[in-house]
Amino acid sequence: MCLAIPMQILSIDGTTARCSANGVEREVSLFLMQDRSLSMGDFVMVHVGYAIEQVQAIEAQRRWQLFDEMDRSADA
Amino acid sequence: MSTEAKQWLSRIQALKLPNRVHIINVCGGHERSIAQAGLRGLLPENIELIPGPGCPVCVCPEEDIYAAIQLALSEPVTLLAYGDLLRVPVNLPKGEPRTLMAARAEGADIRPVASPQEVLAIARDNPEKQHCFFMAGFETTTAPLAAMLAEGVPDNLSILLSARLTWPAVALLLNSDTPGFDALVAPGHVAAIMGAQQWSFVAQQHRVATAVAGFSSESLLAAFYSTLCQLLDGQPRLDNCYRDVVRDEGNLAAQRIIEQVLKVTDAHWRGIGVIANSGYTLRDGYMKHDARQRFSIVDDAQRHRAGLMPTGCDCTQVLLGKIYPNQCPLYGRSCTPRQPVGPCMISDEGACRIWWAAGVKS
Repeated sequence: MCLAIPMQILSIDGTTARCSANGVEREVSLFLMQDRSLSMGDFVMVHVGYAIEQVQAIEAQRRWQLFDEMDRSADA
Repeated sequence: MSTEAKQWLSRIQALKLPNRVHIINVCGGHERSIAQAGLRGLLPENIELIPGPGCPVCVCPEEDIYAAIQLALSEPVTLLAYGDLLRVPVNLPKGEPRTLMAARAEGADIRPVASPQEVLAIARDNPEKQHCFFMAGFETTTAPLAAMLAEGVPDNLSILLSARLTWPAVALLLNSDTPGFDALVAPGHVAAIMGAQQWSFVAQQHRVATAVAGFSSESLLAAFYSTLCQLLDGQPRLDNCYRDVVRDEGNLAAQRIIEQVLKVTDAHWRGIGVIANSGYTLRDGYMKHDARQRFSIVDDAQRHRAGLMPTGCDCTQVLLGKIYPNQCPLYGRSCTPRQPVGPCMISDEGACRIWWAAGVKS
């Protein structure tokens, strides 16, 4: 359950952000991110619909790569 | 495997380890990454990677699941839960509904959900009906639940909470006569919320090498290397190998929200027993959303002795890191993902299910 996926912020409306990961878009709550100053283009780790922490772009891309590998191994 | 991961592996292989080393992890996500990348087979033979108490659904008290089943069967309520909880059995005679799925087959309104937002949407779309969100999870999953309550939930939504803190289970192992490990890989997303510092007690008080890790092979191998160097130096400390995400102090806003909504309490871990300060209950201001207050959930004392793992199932030993999943006599024989006996073969974060999915069939 502690799986978290890096997503990029496309737009912010109050404590809700429209986020994208590898082309998949979701509404994400930023309620737990009150101490972080986030803007469009930033990356966040998302767990059960909530951003739990900010993440650098390089780590986000690494994680996407990891999920792709896991998908491939699950398909195999 | 990436170049960076190969470099970490080479560094580990170059270390001269005098003794066998046991590195425990306490996160199903870590165990999945290790198993799927086949890291055990790549490391030197004298390094053992032990899956520990990293599955909140596996330690969710049997009596809590029983209470959820009875609630869904006896009250006009929609019961909502994260998917894998629906398949975990309680110890009941044949013919009685042993899982939430079985209760659903008997007509109870039970639905799997994926997020607090989905819970809210279902409750708001059906204002005339009571809804109960049954949640087992560690701090990473507890923070979003606390956020949902802090933001405000409709009156027709209550919570049956089986949330647990991760570090007290590690403290329990460390305070036992036989912890069984020399090093700890601390859980990355728990630490993202609660802070890397929360794990400093492991090195400081117990002199066990510690590193926070992320979920890529690079981060995990870096954490293994760090703990091995700490052991070789004879200077255990806390290292953070997931700095892109985890801060020393964690996510302070998330910690404030958890503190605002929930208070820490002693809690029962299935098969293990009560661990001090290892669970959460709702604070007074949120008590009206506590399912235990709203419904007459009977705490049947006679059932307490039944609160163990299913008969013959060694999930407790797996959760405590005492045996590997395939050392359970049931593993791969009478217990498979298709016909699971214990919660470790059911939950996506259970070590048995992870090993099976990674191809360990016996």
